[in-house]
Amino acid sequence: MQNRGKIVIRGIVQGVGFRPFVYALAEKYAISGWVKNLGSRVEIAAAGARFSEFCAEVSKGTVLSTIDAVDVFPLDEEVGPGFVIRSSGQGSLDGMIPPDVAVCDDCIRDIFTPGGRYEGYWATSCVNCGPRYSIIKTLPYDRERTAMDAFPTCTPCGAEYADPACRRHHAQTIACASCGPSLALLGPDGTERACADPVAAAAAMLDAGQILAVRGLGGFHLACTEEAAGVLKGRLGRQEQPLAVMVREDAVERYASPTEEDWGALRDRVHPIVVMEKRDPAGNRGISSLHTIGVMLPYTGLHHLLFARLGHDLLVMTSANMPGTPMITATADAVERLRGTADAFLVHDREIVNRCDDSVVRDGHIIRLSRGMAPMRAAIDLGGRCILGVGPELNATTTIYRNGFAVTSPHVGNVRNPQTLAYLQETVEKIGRLLGASFEVIAHDLHPQFLSTRYARELAAETGAELVAVQHHRAHIAAATREECVGIAIDGVGYGDDGTIWGGEIFAGAAPHLERVAHLQTVAMPGGDLATRYPERMLYGILPEEETLRLLLSRGLGEVEAGVLARQVERGVNVARTSSTGRVLDAAAALLGICRERTYDGEPAMKLESAAYGVRAEEWDLEYGREGNCRTLQTAALLKRAAAEGAAGRDVHGIAASVQHNLARGVATLAIDAAAERGIGTVALSGGVAYNAAIRETIRRCVEDAGLSLLVNRRYPLGDGCISFGQCVWAAAELDER
Amino acid sequence: MKVNLMHGAGGEVMGELLGVLTKFTHNNAGGIGLESLDDGAVIPIGDQKIVFTTDSHVVHPIFFPGGDIGRIAVSGTINDLAMMGGRPIALSCGMVIEEGFEVADLERIVSSMDGALGEVGASIVTGDTKVLEKGSLDGIVINTAGIGVAEKVVRDNGLLPGDVIIASGTIGDHGIAIMAHREGFDLGEQIRSDVAPLWGMVKLALAAGEIHAMKDPTRGGFANAINEMARKSGVHVEIEEEALPIRTNVRSAAAMLGIDPLEVANEGKAIMGVAAEDAEAILAALRSHPYGQDAAVIGRVTEGRDVVMKTKIGGERYIEPPVGDPVPRVC
Ligand SMILES: [Fe+3]
Ligand SMILES: [Mg+2]
Ligand SMILES: [Zn+2]
Ligand SMILES: [Zn+2]
Repeated sequence: MQNRGKIVIRGIVQGVGFRPFVYALAEKYAISGWVKNLGSRVEIAAAGARFSEFCAEVSKGTVLSTIDAVDVFPLDEEVGPGFVIRSSGQGSLDGMIPPDVAVCDDCIRDIFTPGGRYEGYWATSCVNCGPRYSIIKTLPYDRERTAMDAFPTCTPCGAEYADPACRRHHAQTIACASCGPSLALLGPDGTERACADPVAAAAAMLDAGQILAVRGLGGFHLACTEEAAGVLKGRLGRQEQPLAVMVREDAVERYASPTEEDWGALRDRVHPIVVMEKRDPAGNRGISSLHTIGVMLPYTGLHHLLFARLGHDLLVMTSANMPGTPMITATADAVERLRGTADAFLVHDREIVNRCDDSVVRDGHIIRLSRGMAPMRAAIDLGGRCILGVGPELNATTTIYRNGFAVTSPHVGNVRNPQTLAYLQETVEKIGRLLGASFEVIAHDLHPQFLSTRYARELAAETGAELVAVQHHRAHIAAATREECVGIAIDGVGYGDDGTIWGGEIFAGAAPHLERVAHLQTVAMPGGDLATRYPERMLYGILPEEETLRLLLSRGLGEVEAGVLARQVERGVNVARTSSTGRVLDAAAALLGICRERTYDGEPAMKLESAAYGVRAEEWDLEYGREGNCRTLQTAALLKRAAAEGAAGRDVHGIAASVQHNLARGVATLAIDAAAERGIGTVALSGGVAYNAAIRETIRRCVEDAGLSLLVNRRYPLGDGCISFGQCVWAAAELDER
Repeated sequence: MKVNLMHGAGGEVMGELLGVLTKFTHNNAGGIGLESLDDGAVIPIGDQKIVFTTDSHVVHPIFFPGGDIGRIAVSGTINDLAMMGGRPIALSCGMVIEEGFEVADLERIVSSMDGALGEVGASIVTGDTKVLEKGSLDGIVINTAGIGVAEKVVRDNGLLPGDVIIASGTIGDHGIAIMAHREGFDLGEQIRSDVAPLWGMVKLALAAGEIHAMKDPTRGGFANAINEMARKSGVHVEIEEEALPIRTNVRSAAAMLGIDPLEVANEGKAIMGVAAEDAEAILAALRSHPYGQDAAVIGRVTEGRDVVMKTKIGGERYIEPPVGDPVPRVC
């Protein structure tokens, strides 16, 4: 019977309470020895009669940990008596950066325990909760390498840190009102306002309808009540955009109808924004004009304190940033850039080392991979090379693959301006450094003008890394599966092999051989990106007819503009060609008078989905065609039918539902036929349009009715947040064949 | 690789072709040569600096609001000389004409060329004419070459941190005018090309202060010119969107077509980087000339790289050299 050994545990074992967990077990099983943190692994020297039981228990890990491997070696040193936690050593860095964790129930209880050490303290946390990634400077994860370094513990905190019986034993973020970071309320110009309780003062301002910038875990939010949402939208110049809300847990059902799955998502340790159905689909229009609402629960001590002092049970909580730029993290920046937007600033003095926006999920699918989820690590064997996937341009993340693991960054955003490009670079550098990565391969989007493409080229020139260009929609499918499949990518736009703009694509095969076998009809996109902003242009691009012009004129399109649009399409001046699914939905929204101008990402298609919500669709005849070697679904015919239904006076909601349903049916048919032709049993679905529940579920029904299985990626976003990971997968597959 | 139309559109794609066409080993006659890819070459002869340049011109249609191919052929070469700081003296004119071309049209072209020459006091002193079989070209191609003399040579790579960027007038007129006319767009109001020989205006500016770099934003437009200047000078340029002079009709036409007016050709404009302390004087000199009435300070030069525009809504975006046709990127 073995009674001693050196146990080496690899995986996500930092910032997850691993060492105190080991310590407690050592006590329980009367084990002597030590435990030590070594970057990406924990080493335990253990000796004692109950070694085997101890070994079995430590191998299970803590709730927050993920264990990749446990190895036991002979122990070649004397240990004991007793068990100690040794200070961390330098180790390899291929382990993991732990994500932030929402404040736990025990800590919430501490905050509201009268007379307790943590009563009313905003940054209360323990070994099971609190900031991690957002405060980490380097690994291993220890206080001195985080933003908490600036706050030496007081004697009682130090005692709890050292006390094996305490929940804060070795909790690196331990802090209390006397030693930890503190709060302040700043006026609109950034000068501090004297007040005994900044949270109470902030709550009073919010209740009175004012707009506050609140410094949180990974950045600033703009907060206000529902009544003040209109003012906030006005100040931001975003009249239409739905705003996320933070709601007291007991009030969620006043605003939304969460499913059981939604409740699970709301309450898990991530505490993301959960997009769910509104209680009254037509209600709360000041927050969202859609049938859905994005809800999150308070996830820091500060939020809980704020709600405790607030009369309202809901706050609008939207990321504070300038249009298209990253969330603001530094107080000085916030004061400078939110002048005129925020009436006051509720801030803390703990540095936000790594920006992290709120994560967003819907129906179990990740819309935005960020706080609490990212950096996200996936075990995958992509070979021995270190690969960087820089992502696409919009809704980008980056992924670094090294030594059997792909690590995907939090949401970077739309890499279209110098600030966001700088943030992309910074993210790659920081996570790269934390992981000790040096890139041998850099994968990027095929689009020649993406700033991320340019960054990839420059980085490759600097480092000598090999460049691999990956077609956008193939990256979508590669992110979903490496197995042979028929892949459906229903999306906005992405640069295609043939220089046209893809976005409604059916592939067959497996990376790096995904053959384009079918797609939506290639149609005119008059004015390129202009057609994305004005969906009516897209409608005319698909249906370039007198009747369309008449309809658009009746909707308010100017005579001159209408004439120019018609001429532009006729002459092909600055007209791109696209098979995008998103653009077809945009055109349908324009046709039905639902959306004339897109003011935020996905607006026309999302409004179309809302218009169709809860309404029965009709089955329409579909037309298919052929372009080159590919089968096509004729979207012009589909929209023509929709236009005819409209002209016949049919209900807009019914037409919206039918457009979505029949488009989905057509796409599914193309995929099913391709699968049958090739004897493939799996259909993978990706792309931003797959968030549309009606479209996704119609495709699922059709595919499953045909006896095939539908694979929808739940680990990565369906939208472009998965691209960087897909790029890594694709690049590895391609290089394996070179 | 085969040559395609994108190769002639300016910007990055054209760079591929230039890689082939600049492989001359005999490329410099003692001053500034082909290797610089500047607006023209400089050949020192005695203590004179002779500026030399050439350009071939095709434009459809050959007569358009605000000008014609003849005025472009003369102005293009004069402006290339002027951008080097050269006073234009003499030009050559080579014409390749398609069988069937109207002689009356030729007369109009010649008289238009003569008018442009007269504006700056230059002459066409030598020429050549070829007529090709119908169908072997579309109408007419005019090549001009020109020589001038520079007191002080102005390069396109001389931007210095601290410099102020000046545009001599409105941006995008020529490109939008040609497109509107050629494609038959009814924009409600006619847009005219800005084609003009600029030596007169440039001479006044040179006399008014220190011009560190100068370029005419022809093919690839302002976006291409300013990027080339920044890249060759190794500096960062910051442009204020609000300060960019763009005619309302050009702006609205471009907006309707989804075209960036910064990416289309100009034929009567100069972009210059000038010493900050001389900016006012140079601006005044430009504005005193009919072709420089709308001149404006549009940006400044700092250390770094790239060209960034501060937008009206308080954001920033890169101004990048266009790649032929724009490719949609919105997801
Ligand atoms: Fe996509
Ligand atoms: Mg030139
Ligand atoms: Zn806790
Ligand atoms: Zn303390």
